[in-house]
Amino acid sequence: MALVSEDPVLAGNLKKGIGESLDFVQITYFDSEDSFLSDFTDSRTDIILSDHRDHSARWKTFLEEILKQDSDSLVIFIVEDIGRGRSVDMIKAGAYDVLSPASIGRIQPLIHKIIRDIDDKANLRYLSAEKSFSDQIANNSRSMLSIINRAYVYEKVNATFCNAHSIGVESIIGKSLSEIWGEETFESKIRSNIDLCFLGNTVRYEANFDTPMFGNRYYEVVFRPITKETGEITHLLAETFDITDLRHSQQIVNDMEEEFKRLKTNLPIGFLRCDIDGIIIHANSAFLKIMECEDETSIAGLGINEFYTEKGLFEIHLSMLLNAKIKTFGRVQLFTCNGNEIACRISGFIVSNESDKPSFIDFAFEDSSRELMLENRLLQAQKLETIGALAGGLAHDFNNILATIFGYSEMLLNEIPRSTPSAEKVSKIITAISRARSLTDQILTFSRQVDQEKIPVNVVEVLKETIGFIKSGINENIDIKEDILNTDVHIHADPTQLFRVFLNLMTNAIQAMEEESGTITVKLTVVDGNSIRHDLNKAIVADDYVLITFEDTGEGMYPSTVDRIFEPYFTTREIGKGTGLGLSVVHGIIEEIEGEILVSSKKNNGSVFSVYLPVSSGHHGKEEKKEISKRLLFISGNRYESRVLSLALESSGYELVYASDLNRFLKLISEKNNIPDIIIYMDDSEEIRPEDLINIYSGNKINSPVILISDRIQLQSAEKLVNSGIVKQQLIKPVSLREIHNAIQISLI
Amino acid sequence: MAGILIVEDDKDLREMLKISLLMRKYTVLEASDGKEALLKFRPGVTDMVITDLIMPDEDGLKVIMKIKEIKPSIKIIAISGGGKAGPGNYLNLAKALGADEIFPKPFSINEMIKKIDELLNAEQRD
Repeated sequence: MALVSEDPVLAGNLKKGIGESLDFVQITYFDSEDSFLSDFTDSRTDIILSDHRDHSARWKTFLEEILKQDSDSLVIFIVEDIGRGRSVDMIKAGAYDVLSPASIGRIQPLIHKIIRDIDDKANLRYLSAEKSFSDQIANNSRSMLSIINRAYVYEKVNATFCNAHSIGVESIIGKSLSEIWGEETFESKIRSNIDLCFLGNTVRYEANFDTPMFGNRYYEVVFRPITKETGEITHLLAETFDITDLRHSQQIVNDMEEEFKRLKTNLPIGFLRCDIDGIIIHANSAFLKIMECEDETSIAGLGINEFYTEKGLFEIHLSMLLNAKIKTFGRVQLFTCNGNEIACRISGFIVSNESDKPSFIDFAFEDSSRELMLENRLLQAQKLETIGALAGGLAHDFNNILATIFGYSEMLLNEIPRSTPSAEKVSKIITAISRARSLTDQILTFSRQVDQEKIPVNVVEVLKETIGFIKSGINENIDIKEDILNTDVHIHADPTQLFRVFLNLMTNAIQAMEEESGTITVKLTVVDGNSIRHDLNKAIVADDYVLITFEDTGEGMYPSTVDRIFEPYFTTREIGKGTGLGLSVVHGIIEEIEGEILVSSKKNNGSVFSVYLPVSSGHHGKEEKKEISKRLLFISGNRYESRVLSLALESSGYELVYASDLNRFLKLISEKNNIPDIIIYMDDSEEIRPEDLINIYSGNKINSPVILISDRIQLQSAEKLVNSGIVKQQLIKPVSLREIHNAIQISLI
Repeated sequence: MAGILIVEDDKDLREMLKISLLMRKYTVLEASDGKEALLKFRPGVTDMVITDLIMPDEDGLKVIMKIKEIKPSIKIIAISGGGKAGPGNYLNLAKALGADEIFPKPFSINEMIKKIDELLNAEQRD
């Protein structure tokens, strides 16, 4: 407080009076206004008590000067007479109060009040500054902040909160949470957490909320209890952080990580990280799969060179790589962890550190075994095609030569009397020609230069007959398991040729298990043409394929054998134990009906032959039979084999009669109406032997032409029949429908 | 006696056929391929053509077609021994084109002669 007066007495009294009762007030005395003003700028004076009893007008400039410097200054003037207009002017001009000497006693309570006011004002100013700070903080926070009371009502919210709801503060304050967020959200996502907070816990949780302004957002919500000094919790502070972007970026990171993981796990490219000496540090799952390794630890620390089949090759690759930084090595033969040989396309990349020194080598391994297998298969097919063309041409020329020999032999036989040694010798020539003819026929079948006579045939039936045929003649140690579809499956083929295919594959299987007992598993299923597109490696010609597999537990084959198995005259058997044509003929027959045969085999692990044949669509079996109305009499030793042949002939329109024994045969030919047009005699027939047939014919009981079907190894008994002159046509097994058709037609001349 | 034209590129086989036909007193003409066959064919004296199907130059099927065109009453026997496109197929095609009989090689000459006699005797009876 400053006391300004020219009257030292008044000043002394005032100072004394005020100082006694208000000891916390510091009083500085100035004897003139000028001396006060000269000091004022620096001073921190709250109250200025100025004596203006002299009626001068200086008070105005004095007051203005003071208020200019500090507008909060409280100026109290002491004047002679309060009632005058001057006092009013003083108040108007900004003085705090005006006192007269008479009312000077009021000075003490006035100062009391002033000081209280000053304190309040200072407090208020402080508080308002504080409030402004907290508002700044609260409103500029990116989180929604609110104070909630126990009735779940908002008492305070920040600007962010209002923005999020795009409404003003006044529309939120006093509203309940369920009004703002909706009843359902409040009940399901908020209420229980608030209750928990009012029990004194800081509650933190994440949830997504729908906001009118920003739509569905993810929030992290924290409820902090606001505890009073009494320990009572009346309110809580709710902080709601928008973590949507965080969530999204987290999701992106997660997705990327997941994607990478998927790529790493599912990409069929083996990845390997090695040190610069080629020692494995890390491998991905594709590598483990390609290389048939158990897990990563089983190969960690191994050198890649240990997988190479060719010693020293990796070292060459490594030096090439160190020079080139990045290099692809083409197909490399590798051993898998299981010791199997595979081919991989390998690429290597040098990974360098900051100082450009190689620190790692990354390798990519692509399994090219399938590619190699397909190429190989194509190569085999081309080879077979070439051999086929060569063999076919040869067979063609050979048939010309055979025709010449046959013709002259017959002329010779015509010229010399029967039953002479010379005639017998010529018969032997003719029998040999039949054998040669059978051979050229097989070669032509292999080279697909013989048209098969195709008819709709139930492949299931033919397969069952073939199995029956095989079972009738095998050793009991060999078990044949059947897993055959129990329905008719029609394909377009020659049944006798199918029989030949199945017979051949099963005979091979048996021979592969010759030394010991074993099992042949025959399966027949129908598969979707589309699903086998990759396996077949050739055009798919039907919606469905019948798949017949023959699996044996025999000795198996080396890959080098498998590669050549369909080549003619390629045989693993001893010379003379098979023609070496069997599988090549099988291949030819299957190719001709647009099927495919595949082999998989491992040495000492058995073999599987898979035959795919296109199922004929539309007509299912018995379509209209051609009316040939010729009666054929079958004399056969094996019912299965003759069944297949008769299957073929029946569908071609012939009427078939069977004679299983001599009595039935004699009875048949004694009835006029039943006399057959042709007799088909298979020389494995034990009930009716060649001699019986010759006897019956020599007695002129019958003169129907005989077609003899003989086995290569039973030619001796066949010769007798040929010699006797009753045989019109001689066919050597296996006989195709076309052959027997031709034989029948020629015999009927 | 009836005249027969043998069209066959294999010389030995042609010779064998010729001998056996001459033994049956037929008049025999020979051609080693389709072109020559068309040159040697004389509608007036040739009653039958025995032709191989697969030959260099003009093949047997063309021979059959052209000769049938010139002389529809001609008798034709087709023979084939496989190779290139499948004899079964060719022989059936030959039959469709008008061959009276087909014989796959190697065939029985006795049966062929029998058939020839039959075909030509029927001709004579007409």
